[in-house]
Amino acid sequence: MKPRNSDSPIPPAARKDLTVKQQRAESRAVKVAALKKKQTSEKRNRLIGIVTGIVAAVGVLALIVTVVVTNGTPKVSPDAIEITGLQHYPDTIAGHVEGAVEYEQSPPAGGEHAAAWLNCGIYIEPVPNENAVHALEHGAVWVTYNPDQVTGADLKTLQDSVPSTYSVLSPMPNLQSPVTISAWANQVELDGVDDPRLQDFVNKFWQAGDSPEPGASCSGGVDAPGRIA
Amino acid sequence: MSDSAASPLTRPLAQVIAAVLAAVLLLTAGIFLGRLVFPVAPSTPSTTSAEAGFARDMQVHHQQAIEMSTIIREKSNNEEIRTLAYDIATAQGQQTGQMYGWLTMWNLPQASAEPSMTWMMQPTLDGSPSDMGSAPHSEMVMPGLATFEQMEELKASTDSPDAIFLELMIAHHLGGVEMAQELLERSTNEVVTSLANKMVLTQKSEITYMNELLSAI
Repeated sequence: MKPRNSDSPIPPAARKDLTVKQQRAESRAVKVAALKKKQTSEKRNRLIGIVTGIVAAVGVLALIVTVVVTNGTPKVSPDAIEITGLQHYPDTIAGHVEGAVEYEQSPPAGGEHAAAWLNCGIYIEPVPNENAVHALEHGAVWVTYNPDQVTGADLKTLQDSVPSTYSVLSPMPNLQSPVTISAWANQVELDGVDDPRLQDFVNKFWQAGDSPEPGASCSGGVDAPGRIA
Repeated sequence: MSDSAASPLTRPLAQVIAAVLAAVLLLTAGIFLGRLVFPVAPSTPSTTSAEAGFARDMQVHHQQAIEMSTIIREKSNNEEIRTLAYDIATAQGQQTGQMYGWLTMWNLPQASAEPSMTWMMQPTLDGSPSDMGSAPHSEMVMPGLATFEQMEELKASTDSPDAIFLELMIAHHLGGVEMAQELLERSTNEVVTSLANKMVLTQKSEITYMNELLSAI
């Protein structure tokens, strides 16, 4: 027969014959058994806790690693860059012509142009539009500034801000804004030499954007007078 | 007795552990199966990565080599130098196009928001700090790049354009090899390291050849 109380080592039928000593031993045995059960139960709970904890920790770690690896540096897609005040001229045509060209914008942001492209670089004298537009076709940006408004330290800042290749920097007397930056079919008037839209424009359009031949040479063409770098 | 003390307590524990292990195993198997059936597109380099920095700076570096080669091909009467110039211009023009294409594929601007060579400051794959140290950006001249004045001297030279070209191009190639090696220390991207390795090989052998040509002048 199975004992009614599995904790008790002594069958209930034998109880009435027990001495005081035996009764004490029995009660001690019951307490010891209860304590043992409690200890085992605690041990089990602790183990469950540890295992659950480890699994959870591994899970969280994996999640963190995944997030860090996939989102380490957010992408800056050129297409996603938005520039306030951007002018876009979707119908800009290309083609080589001789002589002067009447451009729809000043400074021109593309259009028909001379057979020889202007060599990219820093100029301290105005450059011929027809050659500069050919450089735009090759993916260059053309930064023009009003020489009455941009001088001294400002001019130095501007010279340091334009990309070292595939950019033309030149003064343009009577320019409406202090600085204008142009790429093929795109242009924005800037408020000054530290306008953050300059770098945005470069990120979006330099050797990219709508230029028909990005990466075509921006050297080996013609220099204009006043090239200093 | 020993049964009643151990089994009711350890059996649930064993069951819990088994269940947890089974769940983890199932999850792992599921992830692997999922990856196998729907492969995840490999993540592409970020805009500040060594790969993107290399792709941008090496384009600038190559473009100058193409310009120098074009200049000397028009000026030189030395057939070996004219052939070498044609070789460098066409090979590096093709490689420039590859690097341009990477940036387009990675959906990154061709322009760098950081000064050139910044990527060389990143730690290498083996964790050793960059030997470029923390030089101020204004002093970070791209290795081997000829100055504006040196280019003007080459264009204007009438009596010794061959020697000027070879000296400039040897320095240019040494710098190019250095840049490619800096990339190799920082990247495991197969497409990028493959081209960088080829640059190291060809430019090293061209340096040897140019030294021979130079000593024959």
